[in-house]
Amino acid sequence: MKTGWSVLLALTLTALGCPGGFAGEAGSSSPAGRVDFSNDLIPVFTKAGCNAASCHGAAIGRGGLKLSLYGGNPAADYEAIVRQVEGRRVNLARPEESLIVLKPTKQIAHRGGRRLVDGKEGAELLLRWIRQGAENVSSRSLKRVEVAPRKHVAEKPGSSIQLRATAYFSDGSSQDVTRWTVFTAEDPSAVKIDSESAAAKLLRRGRQVVIARYLDRVVPIELIVPLSGSKPDLAAEPRRGFIDRELLDSLSILRLSPSPLVDDATFLRRVTLDLSGRLPTMAAVRAFLAEPGPKKRQVVIDRLLASEEFSEYWTLQLAKLLRIHPDQGEGEIAGTRDKQGALKYHQWLHRQVRDNVGYDRLARSVILATGDSHEVGPANFYRTVKGPRKQAEFMSEVFMGSRLRCANCHNHPLDRWTQDDYHGLAAIFARIEGGQVVKVKASGEVIHPRTLEKALQRIPGEDFLGADIVDGRGRLASWLTDPANPYFSRAIVNRLWKAMMGRGLVEPVDDFRATNPPTHPALLAGLADDFVKNGYDLRHTLRLIALSAAYSRSSKATEENKADGSFYSHAIRQSLGPEVLADAISDVLGVAGRYGEEPKGTRAVTLVDPKTRSVALDILGRCSREESCESPAGSTGGLQRKLHLFNGALLNARIGAPGGRLDKMITAGESPLSIVEQFYLAALGRYPGDAERLFWKEQLGENVPAGRQRELLEDFVWSLLVCNEFVSNH
Amino acid sequence: MSNLTRCDGVSRRDLLRVGGLSALGLGLGDYFRLQRLHGAENPLKAKAKACILIWLDGGPSHLETFDPKPEAPAEVRGPLKTVATKLPGVRFSEDLARTAGLLDKLAVIRSMTSTLGEHNFGTHYLMTGYKPTPALEYPAFGATLAHVRGQAGVLPPNIAVPDFGIGGSKLAGNGYLPGSTRPFSVGGSSGRRGFKVRDLDFYRGLDLARLDQRRKFVGALDEFSRTKDASSKSASDPDLERAYNLIASTEAKRAFDFSGEPEKVRALYGDQRNSIGQACLLARRLVERGVPFVTVNSKGWDTHQDLYSKLKERYPGDKWALLPSLDFALSGLVVDLSDRGMLDDTLVVVMGEFGRTPKLNANGGRDHWPRVFSVALAGGGVKGGQVIGQSDSLGESPKDRPVTPADLAATIYTLLGIDPNLKLHTGDGRPVRVAPDGSSVVSELIA
Repeated sequence: MKTGWSVLLALTLTALGCPGGFAGEAGSSSPAGRVDFSNDLIPVFTKAGCNAASCHGAAIGRGGLKLSLYGGNPAADYEAIVRQVEGRRVNLARPEESLIVLKPTKQIAHRGGRRLVDGKEGAELLLRWIRQGAENVSSRSLKRVEVAPRKHVAEKPGSSIQLRATAYFSDGSSQDVTRWTVFTAEDPSAVKIDSESAAAKLLRRGRQVVIARYLDRVVPIELIVPLSGSKPDLAAEPRRGFIDRELLDSLSILRLSPSPLVDDATFLRRVTLDLSGRLPTMAAVRAFLAEPGPKKRQVVIDRLLASEEFSEYWTLQLAKLLRIHPDQGEGEIAGTRDKQGALKYHQWLHRQVRDNVGYDRLARSVILATGDSHEVGPANFYRTVKGPRKQAEFMSEVFMGSRLRCANCHNHPLDRWTQDDYHGLAAIFARIEGGQVVKVKASGEVIHPRTLEKALQRIPGEDFLGADIVDGRGRLASWLTDPANPYFSRAIVNRLWKAMMGRGLVEPVDDFRATNPPTHPALLAGLADDFVKNGYDLRHTLRLIALSAAYSRSSKATEENKADGSFYSHAIRQSLGPEVLADAISDVLGVAGRYGEEPKGTRAVTLVDPKTRSVALDILGRCSREESCESPAGSTGGLQRKLHLFNGALLNARIGAPGGRLDKMITAGESPLSIVEQFYLAALGRYPGDAERLFWKEQLGENVPAGRQRELLEDFVWSLLVCNEFVSNH
Repeated sequence: MSNLTRCDGVSRRDLLRVGGLSALGLGLGDYFRLQRLHGAENPLKAKAKACILIWLDGGPSHLETFDPKPEAPAEVRGPLKTVATKLPGVRFSEDLARTAGLLDKLAVIRSMTSTLGEHNFGTHYLMTGYKPTPALEYPAFGATLAHVRGQAGVLPPNIAVPDFGIGGSKLAGNGYLPGSTRPFSVGGSSGRRGFKVRDLDFYRGLDLARLDQRRKFVGALDEFSRTKDASSKSASDPDLERAYNLIASTEAKRAFDFSGEPEKVRALYGDQRNSIGQACLLARRLVERGVPFVTVNSKGWDTHQDLYSKLKERYPGDKWALLPSLDFALSGLVVDLSDRGMLDDTLVVVMGEFGRTPKLNANGGRDHWPRVFSVALAGGGVKGGQVIGQSDSLGESPKDRPVTPADLAATIYTLLGIDPNLKLHTGDGRPVRVAPDGSSVVSELIA
C-alpha cells in the first residue's frame, strides 16, 4: 500500500531561531592578527543567526547554502563557504565582492535580510579573513566557556544585570567573547536581553533561565526575582532532613511563604494513593483518625511500603516507564501481539519490585538480557522498540533521562551529545537481535550519517569501545550503574520525586540536558547520592520523601504563594491516573470494572496489556506504551469525557447496581446522612464537615418521597465521583 | 494502513516532544491566551465565516474526478466516461454530472503538487499546509480557526463528521494548539432522523432535571472542596459546563436531528444511504448554527484495486458508490447553501491527501500520486467558474501554475480572514506562522 520512497526528515530544531531584530554591529575592536575561521568567524555566523535551524542551519540548508546547526561542524561549513558552487561564495581577487559578504550585508538580494552591517565588526572580520586567503587554520581550540553570573538574585522586577562570557583556549589564552555569545531567555516575556550589550532586564518575578551559547558550548544562567517584597519567617518551619533544608532555602531566596502542613485525613489519602495507587479504605480512615500518637504517619508509610498493593502499583509505574506492551512492529510480523512475552516481563518486574531488588540490578538485568523472551522476562527490553537507533533513544530516555535523538542528525544543539555518541550507542545495540529470542549477532552495525561508515560502539559522552568488541552492553551497563554516573541515579530519583511531589526537579523528566537545569540542583544531587548509598533502593527514597515536611504541605495555595508552581511552597495537585481512577471508582461503588477477558475483580492497575478492552480506560485515558507515557498523551477530549460521565455507562450503569455499596446501604435502611458520611469516607477519605452535613441534610432530607430519595442519593454519589476533590490527589 | 509508527519511524509523540525550551513561570493556558491577544492585532476581513471541508480520505483520483483525460490512452483514461461542465472545454468524470453543472459556482485547481505520497505525511501536509517534521505537529485548519475565533455558542467550534480518523489517524488535529481546539467527533451514524451523537442522549432513566441536579451537586462539592484555594479561579469545571450545555441545548440537539428538514432539501443530498451527503447536510446545519469549521470525513478513496466498482458501482444497481455519493453531496451542499444565502459566507473545500497514478495498475486500481492532483473550492469568497492550472496530457505533472499544499493553506486561511503570516506560539513559546514561510496565496482564486 505504501510507495517506496523514504524520507530523511529534517530535525528542525528551532529553539533559538533567527533573531528577528538583530542587524547592528558593535564597534568594538577586532582581535589583531589572523582571523581564525573556526574560532572567530563561526561565532559571527551564530550571533547573526545564519546557522540557526530556521535559516541555513536547517537540515536542507536554505537558498542553496547549508551550514551546520550553530556551527557544530566547522569543517563542513568551511567546505560550504569556500568550495561549493565553484567557489563563488568567496572571491579572493575581490574580497568585497564575495557572495558570503554581499548577501548578509544585503548589498545584493538576501531573503534572510541584513544580518551584518557593511563596515562593522562582523562584516570586517569576514572580509579580513578573505583578504588573508580564506584559509581554515586554527592555532587554538576552545577548552571552556565561563559565564558570569551563573546565578543572580535581583531585588525587584525591572532591574538589569550585565552578562559576560569568557572563552578559554587550548594555548592558554582567554578572550572576552560576550560580544559573540548568544544569550537567549527561555521566556522572552520575562527576560529581555539586549543583544548588543548582553544586559539582561528582568521583567517579572520568578526564576528564569537564560542560555548562553558560544561555539558549541551552552551554559545555563539562573536569574531570580523574589516572588514577594519581604522575606518570610521560616524559622518555625519543620526541617526533617536535607529535603526540607534545601526546599526552605530556596523558598527563602524566592521569598515565598509555604502553605501549612495537612491534617491526618488528607495525609492518609495522599500517601495511600502515592504509594499504593489506592484510596484508603473506610476502615483505614476511621482507624487512622482515631489513633493517637506522633509516630502514626511513619507507621502508615512503612505499612504501605511493605504492602502487596505497593508492589502492584509500582510494578505498573515501572511497566509504563519500560513500556511493557505486547505489540510487535517491524522486523517481526507487524501488527502481531505477543502477550506471552509481555506477561513474562510484567511478572518478572513484579518480582523485582516485591523483592525490593536494587534499581541498578534491575537496569543491568534488562540491558544485559538474552534468551527466549517467552521465558526470560527482561529480554523483552529488546522487543519494546524496533531498531538499534530507537533502542539507543529508548535506553537513554529510560535510564539517563536524556533525549539523545537530536544527535541523530546533528550534534545536540542544547546539550553535550554528539552524533558519535548517538550512533555509537546505537552501534552497541546493533549487535543485538531483538526477535522472540534475544541474542548477540555475529554482525550488525549502524552507519554514521556523517562519515557514511560503520559507527564505532561508544559509551555516550565517554569513549569508543574499540573496533573488535562484539557485545558492548557489559561496558555500557557498568558505566551506567557506576555510582559516579551522573545520569542514572538522578534520572530515577527525579521520577520518584515527581511521583510523590507532582513535579520533577527536572522537567520534563526525560529531558535532562545542560540547558535544562534542575530547580534545586543540590537537592537532586543529594537525593541521588542518598539513593546510591542505600543500594539503589526505590522504597528507601520514596520513604525519605514521604517523611519530609515538604511532602505534608497542603495543596491549598495561599495568597502569598499562589504564583508558585515549581518550588513546592504548596503541594501540587495531581489528577489520578486512568488505572488508579478506574479502580477508585470501582472501589467506591463496590462494583468491579470489567477488563477484556480478564477474570471478574481484576484491578486496572494490574493489567499487563495496556490495550485491554475497557470503556472506562478509553474514557479516562490510557497509554498504549508504544510511545513513552511520560508526556501528556492525547486522551479523548475533556468534552467527550464529560459527556460520557453524564450520559454514558461508566458511572450510570454502576451507581445503583444491585449489590453495590449504595444499593446495600439503602436496602439496609441506612439514613441518607449515614450514607453520605460513608461515601465521604470511601471516596474522599474524610468525614463531611458541618456545612456539608447541613447541605446534604437539606438536599436529601427525610421529607423526600422514597423513590425520589434513591434518585437523589444516586445523584449525590455521581457528583462525588465527578468532583475535583475525588479525581485528584491533593 | 493502521501501523502505529509512520514509515520513517517518526511517531506522534516524537513530533510533540522535541523542542526543549520550556516556559517557566507561565502556564500553557496563559501562553495561548496571550498569543490569541497578540494575534488579534492584525485582523483580516473574513470573507468566509465558516468552512466545510469535504475530506476524501485515502487520496481521490484526479483522473476520475475533476481532471479526466478523455483523449489519453486507455490505461490512463480509465474506465469512466466524462461529461461537459458549465465551462466550455472543461470536462469532469461522468459520475460528477451534477457538480459539473455547477462549475460556475466552483473553482478547481488542477495543478496541485506535493512530494509526499504516503497517507500520514500527505494528510499532514494538506491539512496543515506544513510538511511533517519530527520537531512539531502543526494544527489543522479547523483547530487554528477555533483557536483564533474561540468558542461562541454551545456547539464546539471544530467538529468532525463522523470522526477525524483521517490519513491513518495519526493527526490529532490540534497540533501544538490546546486540546480544546481538537475536532469534536460527532461519531455515531446517520439515520433517518439524523446523526446519533455519542452520549448526547440521556442514559436510561435520566433526564435533564437529573443532570442539572448532578451538576449542581458537583458545583456544591467543588465549593466545599478541600481543593479550593487562593489560586482557583472558578468553582465550575469548564468541560463539565460545556458538556452540560451541549446536552441541555435543544438548539444543539436539533442540529443533529434532520426531521425538520423539508424532503426537498434532503433530496438534494441524496438519500440516507449516501453517507457523504448526510454528513454534508449535518455540516450545513452546524455551520448554520455558528460552528466555524466542519470536517466531513469520507473514507475509502485509496483505490489501489478495482477503482471502477469502488468509485462507481459496488454491485449491480448500486446508486451510492463514492462518486455518485460525492456528486450528490457536493452539488446538494452548494445548491442548499446558495438557496439559503449562505454560500458567500461558507467556504467549501473538497480534497484528499494526493492524487493517483496516471496509469492503471494490474489490479484495475491506481496507486498514490502526489505530483499532480486536483482540489475543488466553492463559496466563501472563492471566484467560481474557473479552472486554475492544468496538468499535462497524461495527468502526470503540473503543466503550469503549480500550487503547493502550503499555497493552498495560505489561500484557505486568507479566505477565512486569517493572515497567513499570523504567528501562533507552540507550548514552548516558539512562534510559528499559520501558513509556512514562503507560501503564497493563489490570488486568482479569490473573488
